[in-house]
Amino acid sequence: MSSQDTIAALSTPPGRSGIGIVRLSGTRSLEVTQSLVQDKNFTPEPNHAVLRKIYDPSSHEVLDHVLITYFKSPRSFTGEDIIEFSCHGSPVLLRSLIDIVLKFDIRLAGPGEFTLRALANGRLNLVQAEAIRDLINAQTRAAAQQATRQLEGEMSALLQPAKNSLLNIIVPLESSLEFVEDDLPEIAFREIKTDLLNLINQVTRLSSTFGAGRLLREGLKVTLAGRPNVGKSSLFNSLIESDRAIVTDIPGTTRDSLSETVSLDGIPVLLTDTAGLRVSEDIIESLGVERTRRIIVDADLVVVVIDGSQLLMPEDREILINIADSPHIIAINKCDLLSFKQNELDLRDEKATAIVNVSAKTREGLDSLRTAILEPYAAYDTSYTGLFITNARHFDLLQRAATSLRASLNLLEERASEELVLVGLYDALRFLGEITGETTPDDVLSQIFATFCIGK
Amino acid sequence: MSFDEAFDVVVIGAGHAGCEAAAAAARLGAQTALVTLNLDLIGQMSCNPAIGGIAKGHLVREIDALGGIMGRIIDRTGIQFRLLNRSRGPAVQSPRAQADRALYRFEMRRTLEAIPNLHLRQGLVVDLIVREGKIYSIELQDTRRLHAKSVVVATGTFLNGLIHTGRRSYTSGRAGEPASIELAQSLKKLGFPIGRLKTGTPPRLDGRTIDWDAFEPQQADDNPVPFSFATDQIEQPQITCYIGYTTDAVHNTIRQNIHESPLYSGKIKGIGPRYCPSIEDKVVKFADKDRHQLFLEPEGHNTNEIYLNGFSTSLPANLQQELVRMIPGLEQAEIIRPGYAIEYDFVDPRELTPQLETVRIKGLFHAGQINGTTGYEEAGCQGLIAGINAALLAQGRAGLLLNREESYIGVLIDDLIKQGVDEPYRIFTSRAEFRLALRHDNADARLSPYGRKIGLIGNSDWERFNLKQDRLARLRAAMESTKLKKSDPAYLSLSQTLGQDLGDSITLAQLANRPKVNPDLIRQLLPSAINSLCSTKDVETVTADLLYNGYIAAQRATFDRLYQHDDLHVSDNFDFRKVSGLSNEMIDRLERARPRTFGQIRRTPGLTPAALSTLLIQLTTKRAA
Repeated sequence: MSSQDTIAALSTPPGRSGIGIVRLSGTRSLEVTQSLVQDKNFTPEPNHAVLRKIYDPSSHEVLDHVLITYFKSPRSFTGEDIIEFSCHGSPVLLRSLIDIVLKFDIRLAGPGEFTLRALANGRLNLVQAEAIRDLINAQTRAAAQQATRQLEGEMSALLQPAKNSLLNIIVPLESSLEFVEDDLPEIAFREIKTDLLNLINQVTRLSSTFGAGRLLREGLKVTLAGRPNVGKSSLFNSLIESDRAIVTDIPGTTRDSLSETVSLDGIPVLLTDTAGLRVSEDIIESLGVERTRRIIVDADLVVVVIDGSQLLMPEDREILINIADSPHIIAINKCDLLSFKQNELDLRDEKATAIVNVSAKTREGLDSLRTAILEPYAAYDTSYTGLFITNARHFDLLQRAATSLRASLNLLEERASEELVLVGLYDALRFLGEITGETTPDDVLSQIFATFCIGK
Repeated sequence: MSFDEAFDVVVIGAGHAGCEAAAAAARLGAQTALVTLNLDLIGQMSCNPAIGGIAKGHLVREIDALGGIMGRIIDRTGIQFRLLNRSRGPAVQSPRAQADRALYRFEMRRTLEAIPNLHLRQGLVVDLIVREGKIYSIELQDTRRLHAKSVVVATGTFLNGLIHTGRRSYTSGRAGEPASIELAQSLKKLGFPIGRLKTGTPPRLDGRTIDWDAFEPQQADDNPVPFSFATDQIEQPQITCYIGYTTDAVHNTIRQNIHESPLYSGKIKGIGPRYCPSIEDKVVKFADKDRHQLFLEPEGHNTNEIYLNGFSTSLPANLQQELVRMIPGLEQAEIIRPGYAIEYDFVDPRELTPQLETVRIKGLFHAGQINGTTGYEEAGCQGLIAGINAALLAQGRAGLLLNREESYIGVLIDDLIKQGVDEPYRIFTSRAEFRLALRHDNADARLSPYGRKIGLIGNSDWERFNLKQDRLARLRAAMESTKLKKSDPAYLSLSQTLGQDLGDSITLAQLANRPKVNPDLIRQLLPSAINSLCSTKDVETVTADLLYNGYIAAQRATFDRLYQHDDLHVSDNFDFRKVSGLSNEMIDRLERARPRTFGQIRRTPGLTPAALSTLLIQLTTKRAA
């Protein structure tokens, strides 16, 4: 695709960071770099980082000291010439570098355009491209590993046995139709039914990991809720281990919600601190309360925070009643000041999946709270050796394959004619083929000829 | 350049492709010459004397529906009719008939001779003369030149034919007939890519030397289903075929002598069909099988010759005799013609348009085994399409092409011209994506309007077609409006017979979707007025339509979803070489196939999902100017 123009983009997340990477891809990448380092013969050895000063070509002032890495076409991610500038991570600096680069008649890359080029240049297949997108979005190590494994074609490799068993089910049924005059063994309907059931389970099991896969990729949304001044923000800070939420002892300090992603046991958790729930005359605060109610509805899990140093207040009870039908756990905060036993608190909530004593101040019970948050999702063990489906397209294809297979199983049980049973089986083969590659009628026939002695 | 005679269309070869081609071209009004090596062998069945079978029977029905002749001729000369797959659904049922070989030839010649504008010529074609990229004339061995606007080459196994038995091999087009050597050279000179294929045939036995009691009889159907929509009744007396088996002793002897087989000694280079293996292949590749099935098929009413189906071989003739006598029931059997293998040239069918015209030379058409196919039915349907288009071209009319969703003929041609062949190509129902829609009994509804439009369907046939479609429409309406209610006396017994809950009421159309419901049952429930109007076949056809409609609709939805990009156009100058990430082999394949749409690319064998997405992106991404 040499006819394509050269594109540039910031390849690290925007905002202040240690380093920021600006990436160019296309035939003019090297030429532009030569202008920036003010050396017409600059041709770094591919795949090795070299330290250079880069200059603003209009003012000839030094912009930054950067590490330059050259990936030569076609052995690069996109298959085109790629230059990566690892700069110091100042947003202003990165911004001006991009502005300068764009003056060379280079275009700002659209979202995912590098991956698209890699795909178009045959450097990736669709499955790998989707995995890379997930890798870029991956927020934790577990998700990153997951994306990396998928990148290696594990997805299609994993489906290969399913596809082969499907082919083995198709072969006797198809043969019985096409080669009715040949001396073929009787169709073993019972075995075929068993094989088909196993196959359905196999495909369903894989597609059921989609929830877990989504959890890995998108994370778990956890919301802290409670009446004002029970210490939600302190708990939030303890959990994210920073001081992002402003902590005061004035009730209602947190007027809007704050969110931060933390990694709990390798699972990304989007933790949201909310405004305390109470009726307020303060308009700004009541807007926050309204938003809080919405966030609670959106959450995968709500942590209801209760002040352990006080008896339950009517507002606490009201929150517990409101939350009763949503997944939730209860954190009894300020357990260092705990003056009552749990039963004295009169806390009867059978629907809470856990009740944890915790102290944001002494950090007591924080680990138990983390475990309690993940407990309902423990089924999605991140050490799971199989493969999670993290992509909606794969999930959709697997679900459709399973539906087609189930339709065929029903027809098989009704003893419907083979050509009807085969409709769903071929459909499933096509859906799986979208991930693993197409199976042509010739492939099926080859399998038949390899299995049976055909020929009058 | 001079010539002796001038025609609109010249057809070379009077086998199953050539006969259909010549008949169609002449009946479309083109002055047509049919050139054959031997006028007495027109319509010769060089191998199995049978027509039809699964998917092949569909092809014959389609040939008939379009206005071809094969169906009518086998109906007049078939001596054992059987509808295969009777226990399965109507879409995969297909007629098959054993033919009286000599009668078939006779009837074919009689039919051709009755067609105005059709001129039979005996001679060996030695050259194709091309002028300015267009076919101009053909030259015969006796130096006669026939001018033609279109030429159909339908030479079967004759191009550079080489027969093998044991260690002996000799040039021949068919047993006892010369090969066509110069014509093969002529095609090569014109630049056509030529490949080599192989096929084989079993020995023929003297029926008087067979112990018939040792075999299991296989009877013809009581109510034979004809191939032609014009045939009401099969008149030929029906015969019995017989089934037997090989033994371990036979297999051992073959294994001991396998070096005598030109297939295994490396003499034969051509690729044979996997679904029609020789007995040597069966024994070697399926060594654990303790017996292989054989069919004893009489070759006609007036001969003792018996075709030993399932025993195709190229072993030495004396060894064939020895092996045959080891088969129970054939201890005394005498071989009257030994089996043999034959290698022949074929031209890469990716050279062809969907009308079967070569891209290389205007007006030149290829049909039948020259395109790498096997089978009379496969040959016949190509001959029909080539003959039709040769005539239409000569007449300056638009060509006819059939797509793969409406016919097996379309599937076959599309497969050939898009994918080429690695082995002799045979049709199978599984090659058709929409096989539920392509039934043998609805071939007329699918194709006769095309045949009528080009002028190949005469008035009486067209009238019969319209009457039938009218009956079917009335029947469909009656089935949709006839309701069976819980209060009806028939309801209870029906619900019990089927063992199903039929709801408060059910129409006959809905009933047709239920398992275990057959056309006979529907017939019993139909109002008597409509019942007397319609035949059993009519009820079968409408019931089958209703049975499959839901499946076909669902399947279409799947295809629309998965293959939504199939109509994406590939421009003529799209350069596959510039698509990085494609292997050289794939580039070569695509450049040769020149797919016009993404759908055709998708069906190109060997493309990985990665390559497909690459191509899709190339085709969808607008290039920056």
